[in-house]
Amino acid sequence: MNWQKVAKKLEGFQTVESIEKTLRVKRATAINYVYEMRKRGFVHGESRGRKGKRLYEIRPYRKISAGYPGLYEIINANSPIKVVRSYKTIVYRKMSIEEAIVKAIETKNFRLILASLALFKKVRNWYRLYKLSKGACVGRKVGALYDISRKYVRKMKRMDKRVENLLKETKVKSKYIVPRLRTEDFKEIEKKWNVYIPFNKEDLERYKE
Amino acid sequence: MIDFERQIEIFKLIGKSLKESVECYAIGGTAMLFLGLKDSTKDVDLVFEKKEERNLIKKVLEKIGLKESNDIEIYRHSETIKESPILLEGHEFRFDLFLKDIISFKLSPGIKERVKERHEFDNFKIMVVSPEDILLLKSATDRRGDVLDAKKIIETFNIDWDIVIKECEWQTEHGRKIFSLFLFDFLEELEEIGADVPKNVKRRVRDIGERKMIELLKK
Repeated sequence: MNWQKVAKKLEGFQTVESIEKTLRVKRATAINYVYEMRKRGFVHGESRGRKGKRLYEIRPYRKISAGYPGLYEIINANSPIKVVRSYKTIVYRKMSIEEAIVKAIETKNFRLILASLALFKKVRNWYRLYKLSKGACVGRKVGALYDISRKYVRKMKRMDKRVENLLKETKVKSKYIVPRLRTEDFKEIEKKWNVYIPFNKEDLERYKE
Repeated sequence: MIDFERQIEIFKLIGKSLKESVECYAIGGTAMLFLGLKDSTKDVDLVFEKKEERNLIKKVLEKIGLKESNDIEIYRHSETIKESPILLEGHEFRFDLFLKDIISFKLSPGIKERVKERHEFDNFKIMVVSPEDILLLKSATDRRGDVLDAKKIIETFNIDWDIVIKECEWQTEHGRKIFSLFLFDFLEELEEIGADVPKNVKRRVRDIGERKMIELLKK
């Protein structure tokens, strides 16, 4: 059996049922096909769909396991709000959660920053977060976004008090987290950190679902 | 020859030596290595949008022992080159550093939109172009072995031939006017070695060329 040809026919996202239909084979055969293709590196990803069905990403070329997931991939793996980019990013130096938060802020992209709020839950080293954000001149923005995420993201960890104080003393290049975007909903946090919050309460509802 | 692992090692080395961010596009064999279509390649083909960035990479490569070469005639359509690529040789492989133009081909907005993967080696960022664009670029470089690589791409991927046609139109309009002729020749060669090229694609590419020729004759 030429598995590459089979993978070419099935290129895209497939379930066992769709494979049955496309190749006109029985369920057991379709499952075997997935197994064989996975063994040969043609199954690039596997996830659960909404109804719990397995969704296979099949490509006609072998998956190369090199590098680590990029910023978008880290956010999508850790946040209920997903972000999409037309291409996949692979980095060759592992990106920590702390680094991902800082990088997301550096993009100044509204949706990316909104989605990255969930990453605060996974922070292990608050001091590293301070160091990185200070280096990127986004320290106070990190502090303000952390305060927002504490209000909306469940089971959020508490930030080290010393780090919070250190963050307050950092410099930022611009008060805007997203250029020229400011709302009236988080005045207290804005006052505390002296930066402008781009989100309103409705934007953050998704975290409460 | 350079294999995937070694290519990654070199890119990591380049990334570490760069003090500022450099972005480029991987085409040809390099892109094929990233997509797992090849085990090794003779040359690493990279396209830059900024001259300064290309020069930075050239400097880094010279530091690791590669030397500039003038062997531009390896490209079949070398007479059409406006901006020569920088060729650097050494350690049994070669780096071809292009600036916007790839022989008879221009780096178009469409190519940038269709990028499939982005690999980040610290400050060195490489975008891998789509299989359709690798195929088109193979017709532009047309070196020994390019036609076989193109055949492999057609066999492996579900090539969207509409993209090929659209890009051919763009190139004929904004790049070299004779690009469609090169592509037509290349598709014929591909057919000769048994690649599955849809008949109407060849016809449409020929039509683009004919239309352009009539247009030029009228002028």
